Amino acid sequence: MRRRVAVTGIGLVSPHGETPDGVFDALLIGLSAITRWDEADAAPAAVARAPFDVTRWFTRLQLAGVDRVSQFAVAAAEMARADAGLNTLDEGTGVYLGTGMGGAAAIEEAFRSHQISGRVPPLTVPAFMANAAAAHIAMRAKLHGPVFTYSIACASSAVALAEAAKAIACGEVDCALAGGSEALLQPSALRAWQAMQTLATPALDDPSQACRPFSADRTGLVLGEGAAVLLLEAYDAALARGARIYAEFAGSGISCDATHLTKPDASGQARALAAALRNSGLAPGDIGYCNAHGTATRIGDPVECEALGRVWGDALAGLAVSSTKSMHGHLLGAAGALEAAISVMALHRRALPPNMHCEQPDPLCKVALVREAGMAAPHLRAAISNSFAFGGTNAVLVFRRSD
Amino acid sequence: MKTLEELKQMIHEKFEIDTATLKPDAPLADYGLDSLSLAELLFTVEEHFDVDIPDNRQDVNTLASLAELIDGLRVPQHA
Repeated sequence: MRRRVAVTGIGLVSPHGETPDGVFDALLIGLSAITRWDEADAAPAAVARAPFDVTRWFTRLQLAGVDRVSQFAVAAAEMARADAGLNTLDEGTGVYLGTGMGGAAAIEEAFRSHQISGRVPPLTVPAFMANAAAAHIAMRAKLHGPVFTYSIACASSAVALAEAAKAIACGEVDCALAGGSEALLQPSALRAWQAMQTLATPALDDPSQACRPFSADRTGLVLGEGAAVLLLEAYDAALARGARIYAEFAGSGISCDATHLTKPDASGQARALAAALRNSGLAPGDIGYCNAHGTATRIGDPVECEALGRVWGDALAGLAVSSTKSMHGHLLGAAGALEAAISVMALHRRALPPNMHCEQPDPLCKVALVREAGMAAPHLRAAISNSFAFGGTNAVLVFRRSD
Repeated sequence: MKTLEELKQMIHEKFEIDTATLKPDAPLADYGLDSLSLAELLFTVEEHFDVDIPDNRQDVNTLASLAELIDGLRVPQHA
């Protein structure tokens, strides 16, 4: 017996702020949170920073050995719980968290101080280890259930959400905090991404338009930071307590290309898309919106469109597609969770955020892009969110309206 | 006494603990410092006072004993 799963809480630390409605409103009008990153002796880049006041969540004493990535995660988890109308969580609640890099600030500081003085701060290891963020969430909320970390590059938090929903569906846990956190806007991490020739080259006058998914003139991705955590719970339990249900977590599909470490593969992505439809019991025509992976790299965007075309076939024209990375950048290990939250909000609000900065779509990207801001979607019933990772793992999440 | 005052100021700046509440002979745990934050504090102490606290002396648990330890380690350098 598979239980239904409800999304009842959303917690965000994002480039567009922290309230689900506020973030969605900003995206709906096409507001970009991307700004310029300047560092001595380095090529300029565009980034999407999350405004964040750590003093709301931690005292200075509590901050010993707590990296920014864990600070984001704790804040997002606490906000998800509160947003679900819960003062406390059952101690059996699970934590399923994705992160790509872990504590990037701690790593940066460790190497810096190693070079300068040969002495490394004593809490470097607990600060940067990948599972620190999930552990901090569990300690803060006193959760003794499964506390898992998923590090699957750009699919980390989408997989974390899929795994959490499965655990609820099969009765392993009744409630879960699931999502992702990423905070790697550090000089060396940024240079490493620059060295891979994947980052967008920002225009000198207006970095806010640097990320142009599916556009003929796109130049690459923009790194962002933040965290997104969803509170998932058994659907019947959510109904019984009279909770506001944003949407139902309808299913997921996961696959691995097993072809190349960084080159995307349409066949692998199509397998994940088809698996997601099967798993959720929905047909292409049921899905009204796709929050695309759409990182705005030359190679990635057409491959995603090809995969969508293979699975959707003639129904592709009825699938509205946008990559909100055009406004919030690529949050890597937190991208899947932030974009899942946006997809859930699209269903909840019945409106579609636009795919910005794409005046001239790439002819190879034959999908129905959401080209206008503020688009209402009165008949929207179900949506998918795509996350395709370095390493070849593809994750597709499916949400549907609860009514 | 100067070392003790410097220590109080350092703890205040690092952890935002009011210097007026810091007592020389109270266990540091009373102020919420656990083994992790103590490790951080000792690292900062080493940087600030330019001393190297031996591994077998890292069990200090009051400000007075920490100040004494620092003064003891600094004497040879000034000699």
